[in-house]
Amino acid sequence: MMKTLFFTMAASAALLASPAVLAQSPQPAIGEPEPFELPDTQSFRLDNGIDVTFIPFGLAPKANIQVHVRAGNLDDGDMTWLADLTGAMIEEGSAGRPSDEIALEAASMGGDLNVGVGLHTTTFSTNVLAEFGPQAVGLLADMIRRPDFPESELERVRRNLIRNVSVSRSQPGPVANEAYAELLYGTDHPYGHTLPTTEELESYTLDDIRRFYDANYSAQRTRIYVAGRFDQAAMESAIRDAFGDWPEGAADEAVAVAPNPGPVMQLIDRPGAPQSTLRVGFDAVGPDHADYPALVVMNAILGGSFTSRLTSNLREEHGYTYSPGSGITTRPGAGGYWTFNADVTTSVTGAALAETFGEIARLQIEPIGAEEGDGMRTWLSGLFILQNASTGGLIGQVAYRDLYGLPDDYLDTYVTNILSVTNEDITRVANTYLDTDEVILVIVGDLEQIEDQVTALPQLEDVPMAGE
Amino acid sequence: MMKWLLALAGALALAACGENSSGELVEAVDPNGDDGSTTREQGIQVDVRYETLDNGLRVVMSRDTSVPTATVAVYYGVGFRVEPQGRTGFAHLFEHLMFEGSENLPGGTMTNLIYNAGGVQNGSTRYDFTNYFEVVPNNALEAIIWAEADRMARPIIDQENLDAQRGVVRNEVFVNVINQPYGGWIWIDLPMLANENWHNAHNFYGDLADLDAASLEDVQSFFDTYYSVNNAVIAVVGDIEYDETMAWIVEHFGTIEPGPALPPLDISEPRQTEEKFGTIDDPLAPQPALGFAYHMPERGSPEYYAMAVLDQLLVQGDDSLLNQRLINEEGYASGVFGGINLLGNMYNYNGPMLWSVGMIHDAQYDRDTIMATVDEVIEQLRTEEITQEQLDRSITKLRSQFYGIVDSGTRFGLIDLLASFALFDDDPSRINRIEAGFDQVTPELVLATAQEYLRPTNRSVLVVRPVEDDADETETE
Repeated sequence: MMKTLFFTMAASAALLASPAVLAQSPQPAIGEPEPFELPDTQSFRLDNGIDVTFIPFGLAPKANIQVHVRAGNLDDGDMTWLADLTGAMIEEGSAGRPSDEIALEAASMGGDLNVGVGLHTTTFSTNVLAEFGPQAVGLLADMIRRPDFPESELERVRRNLIRNVSVSRSQPGPVANEAYAELLYGTDHPYGHTLPTTEELESYTLDDIRRFYDANYSAQRTRIYVAGRFDQAAMESAIRDAFGDWPEGAADEAVAVAPNPGPVMQLIDRPGAPQSTLRVGFDAVGPDHADYPALVVMNAILGGSFTSRLTSNLREEHGYTYSPGSGITTRPGAGGYWTFNADVTTSVTGAALAETFGEIARLQIEPIGAEEGDGMRTWLSGLFILQNASTGGLIGQVAYRDLYGLPDDYLDTYVTNILSVTNEDITRVANTYLDTDEVILVIVGDLEQIEDQVTALPQLEDVPMAGE
Repeated sequence: MMKWLLALAGALALAACGENSSGELVEAVDPNGDDGSTTREQGIQVDVRYETLDNGLRVVMSRDTSVPTATVAVYYGVGFRVEPQGRTGFAHLFEHLMFEGSENLPGGTMTNLIYNAGGVQNGSTRYDFTNYFEVVPNNALEAIIWAEADRMARPIIDQENLDAQRGVVRNEVFVNVINQPYGGWIWIDLPMLANENWHNAHNFYGDLADLDAASLEDVQSFFDTYYSVNNAVIAVVGDIEYDETMAWIVEHFGTIEPGPALPPLDISEPRQTEEKFGTIDDPLAPQPALGFAYHMPERGSPEYYAMAVLDQLLVQGDDSLLNQRLINEEGYASGVFGGINLLGNMYNYNGPMLWSVGMIHDAQYDRDTIMATVDEVIEQLRTEEITQEQLDRSITKLRSQFYGIVDSGTRFGLIDLLASFALFDDDPSRINRIEAGFDQVTPELVLATAQEYLRPTNRSVLVVRPVEDDADETETE
């Protein structure tokens, strides 16, 4: 499946109009961009249901190997981070070999073995010199299929997680994220629990871990991606040998849910904090919805790029914050939400929120200028090249498509879909999804200084506090 | 926990995101061959073009057609170290000012030019340089070269810009340091403890009082002193034509007048002869942290490459000796991290440097307990030669890591090395001799290097103490 993407740069003409003050020489023209091709991928399926995708890319003799198992925090049930504890214990030894021996073998191939636990997927990955690719596949298969779960290591691993959570709880960002997730998803779904308590982590047993592993790790829930410059025949043979006889296992039964709409807000006290950490959000849609491309361009204009309106306003014009940003978070088959986040100077918390609501209103009311809309569409098209210009980036894009069950040509049509979003579409989705009557707001800051500033805002007049 | 590293090391964080093609790879053996050998010789050979214009601008180019983009970087020879006393944080504040545009591209229009062409940009300030870099579809290359020349020749330095960016920088310090537990201990406080020369030992993010005191005159004088064309490198890497690119650089940069010679600056550090200890209190930290640092051998020396091997052996990766001992065996901490030049990598600095290690650990273990274990690990390396197998594994890891830096999707890693080697060494082709530097290391050299550079008397140890609400918050050491 080789497709060629052409950027229709209607934008370029508008870009040439630059101010003619003190011109040493006029700005050189920006011509037509060269076509960009996504690399050709090869896929095959093992008899037990494991899908394998090869992405030949790059010149460096390295193989980026990732095994994605659909076992994540969504499968935690009410045992928050059981997926994390399971992933961490898998690293402690497999197939009768202790972790230090495995780490030495991986290092001698030029890579580390990494286990990453996410909401939906636990990812086992290594990026090795290509000549060791087949050997690395064997090492990954041992980890995933034959974990030893050594009881002797459990208490130390548990303490590591407890320590990590205690550090997270001392940082304003994770504290805000935890509260924000709970407002979005409530207390009855794993999406609403981003951090466990120490008591929860202390209560999990080796039996819980084994049960989680048995219920969620299986061939049917596994996909393998290899990107880089490697011997494909040798890699395929290694994968068939290492994973081919893994039983199909049970299907994935966890259910993603959509977020709750607001209005609701929560203010969390951080006495003496020099900044207020903000999350301002609305429930939205995911990549399987017709409005999604328009939402992506809308996000880039409002807060999702360095040239966005919120960045220009809050950072460049006012100096209120260093790193404002916005983004769309999605869930497979269950929509998603849009979030603006920033850490703003305490004394201007109310002013920064007023500017934020003001920019949202402006986007909903005023037509978007031709140059701004064209510029953002072109930027997102160029960004797509950068997102696909590395082995890790390519695997990420293809794996996202697979996890969300999107059409095979999703990536090939992505740029075309972005370029066909009209400025009217952007205004329309800003009105549909950024409904300030349904805002979800979290602030972590020095409440003594900010509470009056925040509650005085007319946009928050009818927004109830969480739990009230 | 490593958020601050990512937040600061912007270019390198991007470079570490993935692997991609850049440079031509020369291999003695086809990796797809079936001879089964695991000891094949291979390496990266980057095609480097290098010239210096009459006005002193150094120009580096490297062509790689794998993705139709061009990466442009301008490096100025001005870093934290050159800041005058009473003007801490100035180099970084200036980076922000220079980001705001120039006479032909005022008020954010330079950023718009880059983004509207489909590119991204960033800038950073480090020990020995300030850089501005962008990656764009290659059809925008000439416009970007023109824009960088405008930034160099005609920046907008006015009170309004200064006031707004001072606010942004204050917020950057808040978000990365002051409102975070463990905000600056290992990359600000530990170098301040370990170094003797003020230029290496000041708070380079800037004391807020110094930032507030910066006047427009100070800023203009800083620009006139350091932002001259003869104190800069422009590098262009990617899907480019050499002659065409060079002609554009000559056209847009060639008429900029050179500035005066740089003022003399002594950044040397004396040989450390006694172990140093320090403590800082962190009211936001839930647990104590411990960091320690040793002064590095001179960059590029055989001992420097041996220290790179020791870094791999001791702290890089799950297999490393300190990870195995402190984390897996003793369980002091969830992880241990470290390296040469924590604000960059082992290649992109020019002067005294530290090899540092840090961990956030349980309160039940004190400094002396942990350091006694560290000493057991390190003293073995100072008394016995490492095995050939240990050396080979370390060099394999170094090679893999080096490919990762050089071979990133944005090419920011590659351009960083080319520009750094041009700026510091007047020799960007040095990039093609790095692997030979690793290969010259022997177990004997590692032992000798450990004996001199991993001396306890070459070390500084910093404790981060969580402060209870009722505790005395003054420093005690």
